[in-house]
Amino acid sequence: MNREDNKIVAFCCEHSAYQVADKAGRMRLHYPDNVRIIRVPCAGRVDVQHILKAFEKGAAGVLVMGCQEGACQHLTGNTRAKKRVKYAEDLLKEVGIDGGRVKMVNLAPDMAQRFIREVKEMAEKIEGEMRR
Amino acid sequence: MIIAERKPLEEIKSMLSGYKKILLVGCRTCVTICWAGGEKEVGILSSQLKLASSGEGNELSILEATVERQCEKEMVIEELRDKVQEVEAILSMGCGVGVQTIAEIFEEKPVFPALNTTFIGMPEAEGVWVEKCGTCGDCMLYWTGGICPVVRCAKGLLNGPCGGTRKGGKCEIDPEKDCAWVLIYRRLEKQGRLDLMRKYYEPKNYRAVKRPGRVEAATA
Amino acid sequence: MQVRIGIFLCDCGESLKNIDFSRIRGDLQRLEDIAFVDISHNLCLEEGVKAMTSRILAENINRVVIGACSPELCEHSFSRLLKGLRLNPSLLSLANIREQCSWAHEGDVTGKALELMRMAVNKARFLQPVEKKDIPVNKEVLVVGGGFSGMRSALELSRLGLRTTLVERESVSGGKLGEFESFHGIETTPEEMLSSTRKAVKENADIKVLTSAEVTRVEGQVGDFTASIGRGEEKVSQSFGAIIFATGYMTKILPQDFQLKPDVNIISQRKLVEMLQAPGKLERRPGTIGFVLDVSDENSRLPILSTLNNALAVKERLGSEVYVFCKSLKVDSEGVEKLYREARERGVVFLKFEEKPRISKEDGRVKVEARDVLLGEEVTLLCDSLVAEEKVLPPEGTEALSSLLNIGTDSAGFYQDENVHLYPVASERKGIFFVGGCKGDLDFTRTLADISSATMSIYKLLSPEKVIVEVEKVKVEPEKCRACLTCVRVCPHGAIQMVRVDTEKEVAKIYDLACDGCGICAAICPAKAIRFEGYADEQILAEVEAIGESL
Repeated sequence: MNREDNKIVAFCCEHSAYQVADKAGRMRLHYPDNVRIIRVPCAGRVDVQHILKAFEKGAAGVLVMGCQEGACQHLTGNTRAKKRVKYAEDLLKEVGIDGGRVKMVNLAPDMAQRFIREVKEMAEKIEGEMRR
Repeated sequence: MIIAERKPLEEIKSMLSGYKKILLVGCRTCVTICWAGGEKEVGILSSQLKLASSGEGNELSILEATVERQCEKEMVIEELRDKVQEVEAILSMGCGVGVQTIAEIFEEKPVFPALNTTFIGMPEAEGVWVEKCGTCGDCMLYWTGGICPVVRCAKGLLNGPCGGTRKGGKCEIDPEKDCAWVLIYRRLEKQGRLDLMRKYYEPKNYRAVKRPGRVEAATA
Repeated sequence: MQVRIGIFLCDCGESLKNIDFSRIRGDLQRLEDIAFVDISHNLCLEEGVKAMTSRILAENINRVVIGACSPELCEHSFSRLLKGLRLNPSLLSLANIREQCSWAHEGDVTGKALELMRMAVNKARFLQPVEKKDIPVNKEVLVVGGGFSGMRSALELSRLGLRTTLVERESVSGGKLGEFESFHGIETTPEEMLSSTRKAVKENADIKVLTSAEVTRVEGQVGDFTASIGRGEEKVSQSFGAIIFATGYMTKILPQDFQLKPDVNIISQRKLVEMLQAPGKLERRPGTIGFVLDVSDENSRLPILSTLNNALAVKERLGSEVYVFCKSLKVDSEGVEKLYREARERGVVFLKFEEKPRISKEDGRVKVEARDVLLGEEVTLLCDSLVAEEKVLPPEGTEALSSLLNIGTDSAGFYQDENVHLYPVASERKGIFFVGGCKGDLDFTRTLADISSATMSIYKLLSPEKVIVEVEKVKVEPEKCRACLTCVRVCPHGAIQMVRVDTEKEVAKIYDLACDGCGICAAICPAKAIRFEGYADEQILAEVEAIGESL
């Protein structure tokens, strides 16, 4: 991966976001095709290292997508992920990568439109910064 | 155990300026447990340094390693002996002791600290560590119901509160902190040992000649 | 052993037209450890399954990668297929090239599909087999609390073929049910319900009742809990497969709100019930009875339930005038709104206050003064008896027990009210359940439903002939474990405990039956000592690296 490829790595929790992405596909709702979804059992499985490694290997943006607050089947998974995303954001700022290239998104399994919006927003942000 | 924190990235980067190939070494003991310099933190710092250096146009090559305990000579030698040959400098994510152990063994290679070693403490809650012991070398916990005034009293008083304790038993200097002597009083009260507070404690001897400390076991 | 990967691509009845499957096959075939790449039109139909089966049997492969529809749809059947062919189902890696690729984008998506396949192949290289094993579990259940909920749970478990030990702290079982005078609208009185339930329990050979006994310690995990039960001087240890807590609640009249003095006639609901049950014994019939609510606790439903039931009973049996002072009468429990309307029809007067009523003594009667919000006036009531509101509290010992078990309580101290949407009767620890009053709110109908739900869950956990677990799917590597206790503290299901390995160091151990596979421990372990097969660090990293990897 090179930063110019504009790839977005999306870690998607199997209880919510992964299903949402499937739903978007079933409804033929289109979104940018530079997204690569990695399925995880819970957003809490995603660690700071995974996020940083994704950028190290050339990702332009990372989304961590889990259940809505209060609805995590494993109770604390999504809140932990949120904290880690914030920490990763600070670590990336330290090396000059900022502008919201890593983001935590909370979804219920039926929020296909929201999923599309978040992906499009990230794709636009990356592209905008590339052009600069 | 020893608690440490990672230095700001800018400071670490300035130490590494001019070097093209380094060895980044973590430690699996104290600094792993306080989330500062374990295998995980080595990976994170490595990613950051690579991202930073490629962004600035100079490729920094990083070899990663983690030693079981950086303060044990044999373990350091075993883990790093071969890797050290390939690099220009070593960035240690161990505590100050670890950094110095590595430096002593591989004298020709510059060794830099990625962490600031802060205190001896324990976990208060997940991800939160607090200082408990001042390593004064003259433990008075018998007299204070198990609460250390050297560390927990902002003024390090040894014979009772300063008289400026705030309402709710908070410290005059730092209102977020509990007054250590209030805590000590209450603890001794619970144990029915309040008479111990009558003991007069002489000022502690902090003279420079005491450092570096050295302890030799009788059966050494 | 050399990794050899067999790849199957499904074009979903040739409908995924924006993917050039032969190009993908050509690219994948060039990779070094690929044994074959087959294209099928229908891996989900018999024809496709047959072809896949014969291919796998013919070739010597040890990893399978399939690019098809969403794993949510097909993972289960492909796993079963692999199992039938003596390949460990954990050696399967799936790529979602339909819902998350072909259907999700316009135009040609061959490039993305190829990358998704490369990600799955990369991951497959690091997959390890996970064995399944039948583990022995203890099929006996511990029920803590011999009130109605506890007894009813034991009876239902017996119907499901499970034996229980019922532990009750008091010398007599029954709990609080006997304190209720009646449930308005239900013919059977609480007293009758209680005695028939007690009788059924006594006559049931599957239920062992221990009264004047208390659970002092619980260790272990689902399938193998060890409980210490103290009975006077005696202490016994027994093993159980699951535990139901039916520890109930207690009520207290808060002295700061109501002062109970011997000469002031402020009474508890229980005292009122005594009066109602023996009206003949009363010196004189009380002319006016007052109730006060929403002073000690604005949220509990029990005082409202008792008040309405007892107010109606007063009207029926004593004929007194009844006044209820309340702030906001919450009638959302089952049947309570109906009760309220009936009470009003029978002449119970409800007075709504904003500020706390002032209670004092006057001429041997109780004086209640409050500003009625609707009238806009001060109201003074002199009553012969004032029934004080009781605050519903968790019974003594709840806090100690919950920290013993590593189970959360809510801000009022009741069990798991936080998780009530996700786990209505189960606690976050597998094998431990809560029913009845100890959950913090009282609703008779809901309690019955909770009991059925909990007992059925236990039946599912313990009763089948074999209990199968995936052995060490999430595993702590003892040599790397630093015994820092982070995973033990962090596991939301309490599935991790410290154990001594070979009488040497203490390390963390994950209990397979209790583990719910979230991976939070694997992510947080500072020593990276926990491996989660299927989502291990190197597997996730391999997927990331495959993105944009040149061939």
